[in-house]
Amino acid sequence: MIQPSPEIVVGIVANAASGRDIRRLTTGASVFDNAEKGSMVARLMAGLGATGVGRVLMMPAGGGLAGTLIRRLDSRRDSLPYPELELLPWRPTETARDTDRAVRELLERGVAAIAVLGGDGTHRVVARGCGSTPLLALSTGTNNAFPELREATVAGLALGLVATGRGGPLALRREKLLEVSVNGGPRDVALVDVAASCQRFVGARAVWNAGDISELIVAFASPSAVGLSSIAGLIDPVGRYAPYGLHVRLGDPETAPMRVVVPLAPGLVVPVGVEWHRRLEPGGVAALGGGAGVIALDGERELELREGDRVSVKLVAGPLTIDVEQVMLQAAQLGVLRGPITSAVVAEEAQ
Amino acid sequence: MTVTAELSQESLLRGYRTMRTIRDFEERLHIEIANAQIPGFVHLYAGEEAVAAGVCSHLSDEDWVSSTHRGHGHAIAKGCDVKGMMAEIYGRATGLCKGKGGSMHIADFRRGMLGANGIVGGGPPLICGVGLSAKVRRSGQVGVAFLGDGASNQGTFLESLNLSAIWKLPVVFVVENNGYGEATGQSYHQAVEDIAKRADGFGLPGVTVDGNDYFAVAEAAGIAIGRARAGHGPTLLECKTTRFFGHFEGDTQTYRDPNEAAEARASRDCLVAFRARVTDAGLLAGAALDAIDVEIAQLIDESVAEALAAPWPDVSELSTDVYIKY
Repeated sequence: MIQPSPEIVVGIVANAASGRDIRRLTTGASVFDNAEKGSMVARLMAGLGATGVGRVLMMPAGGGLAGTLIRRLDSRRDSLPYPELELLPWRPTETARDTDRAVRELLERGVAAIAVLGGDGTHRVVARGCGSTPLLALSTGTNNAFPELREATVAGLALGLVATGRGGPLALRREKLLEVSVNGGPRDVALVDVAASCQRFVGARAVWNAGDISELIVAFASPSAVGLSSIAGLIDPVGRYAPYGLHVRLGDPETAPMRVVVPLAPGLVVPVGVEWHRRLEPGGVAALGGGAGVIALDGERELELREGDRVSVKLVAGPLTIDVEQVMLQAAQLGVLRGPITSAVVAEEAQ
Repeated sequence: MTVTAELSQESLLRGYRTMRTIRDFEERLHIEIANAQIPGFVHLYAGEEAVAAGVCSHLSDEDWVSSTHRGHGHAIAKGCDVKGMMAEIYGRATGLCKGKGGSMHIADFRRGMLGANGIVGGGPPLICGVGLSAKVRRSGQVGVAFLGDGASNQGTFLESLNLSAIWKLPVVFVVENNGYGEATGQSYHQAVEDIAKRADGFGLPGVTVDGNDYFAVAEAAGIAIGRARAGHGPTLLECKTTRFFGHFEGDTQTYRDPNEAAEARASRDCLVAFRARVTDAGLLAGAALDAIDVEIAQLIDESVAEALAAPWPDVSELSTDVYIKY
């Protein structure tokens, strides 16, 4: 174990606002509460401190998240080498604007990497602003396809190794990104899926009715995923790092040429009809069928369309993410974390 | 692509008319109160219209709502006669409660309006009664309790969450979280930001939506009320919203950033957003909304004029309507 260096700084974006959406009524999705998210950040910081990260810059977080975190750090600071925690000095609005602003400021401060604790939506917002800064993508609920559900302590070790230049050659993976344009102008991005919904308004945001979706474009689709991308995953799986995506036209399950039963959301398994599907090549552009409606990005309704709006989706290279498995494997092979027992560890064991 | 039934022109126009009526009613009271002809306290609902309109769009006269001290919006959205309401607030004999209730006791049982309520947190237990009655009689009725963030700290509310959950009552608790319990900011009076979380401890689902967005409220309320009607039990629906005026008329609002209400009007006005979105989407023409604006302005003018011209209650009315005979 090495002592943290103040020169090495990582950023943390933890979304305190997620988790109270309409899926609580329509499906069985579960989410971590803010106390658990605060504890997750504390565990992450234990891993960071142990690998030499001296300073953490974090998006301000309400709802008890930051409070829990600070209590946890204070109660164990004497025995563990935690990094210094600095909260960005502004009051959160509890909207996606916080995430946009935090990512901008973290990049300005030159963080080596950013840990993101949230769902697909939070990661999407980070991805549209993070450039080439690597992300550690951690899920805080059961309804996500992009971030991983993973113990934060180990993830913190991997993040710390990457931030201190010891991640190894396989530490980073290049994700895919779906760029959404309306009438030729870029509007937003998605990391997992873009869906055309016949709903007219963003409303309660979450997509929870398969019958609303007419078309779906996925960057990747696992047959064992939950959510919209499972539709694609169960007809033609697309590896997360395969170069292509998939474009699926949905239809009435009673009359469409193909019918597939999918886990559309946690606790919700439904049949959907598939008219056709085809691959979307890298750099390829797919047009979504015309007509007014709403475009959902990574499972949340985001863009309201006018009659006649033309929507196209382009598959491009996305953010870099940290491959925790690979970093830890390499750490084991090279003995990166091996070393003499320090006095801090002895003190910890003596308690 | 199909347009869902809830977004028919008729229902959109009804939603806008409800919100516009509430807004004009409250803005006019804000002016009239200065003329010192209105007895008693008045608490204005302006800014929060999307909540009452979105929730009540799923209710009929057979369903019941309980309201709060800030009750004009709920009464209008539930279908109470606007002229009768205005006369009531002016304390005139032609008022909905013969001029003897005033702003904080407006009720109209024919419309399923149990009453505004001067007791903070007084509504939820009443709605549990509604729910129990509906359940025992298998009537298919639903009860909705409106309450504020301040009331969400009251024992009456927490006990009602428990009672409704164990009895699986057909009710919805709608928390209008406008950020202030009277003059106390939310962060000073509770340690949670999402009041919907309080549902977890009692075993019912809790959902938070943007209370300034008519469509978000209407969608979530539709699902919650549908669940209640189908026998699946209660829901706690938190709508985060904004109060344009003070706690009561005359409140100097020293506890609030002086620009806060103006900023809310500029960026989070539910009526402005509704108009922009339905016209952008091509669902309604601006002219149809303009026509409603004109019609409602006239209705409010007439309401005030007729209230002022109406007689006071006779002294002989003083002891009537105090007790009810069963």
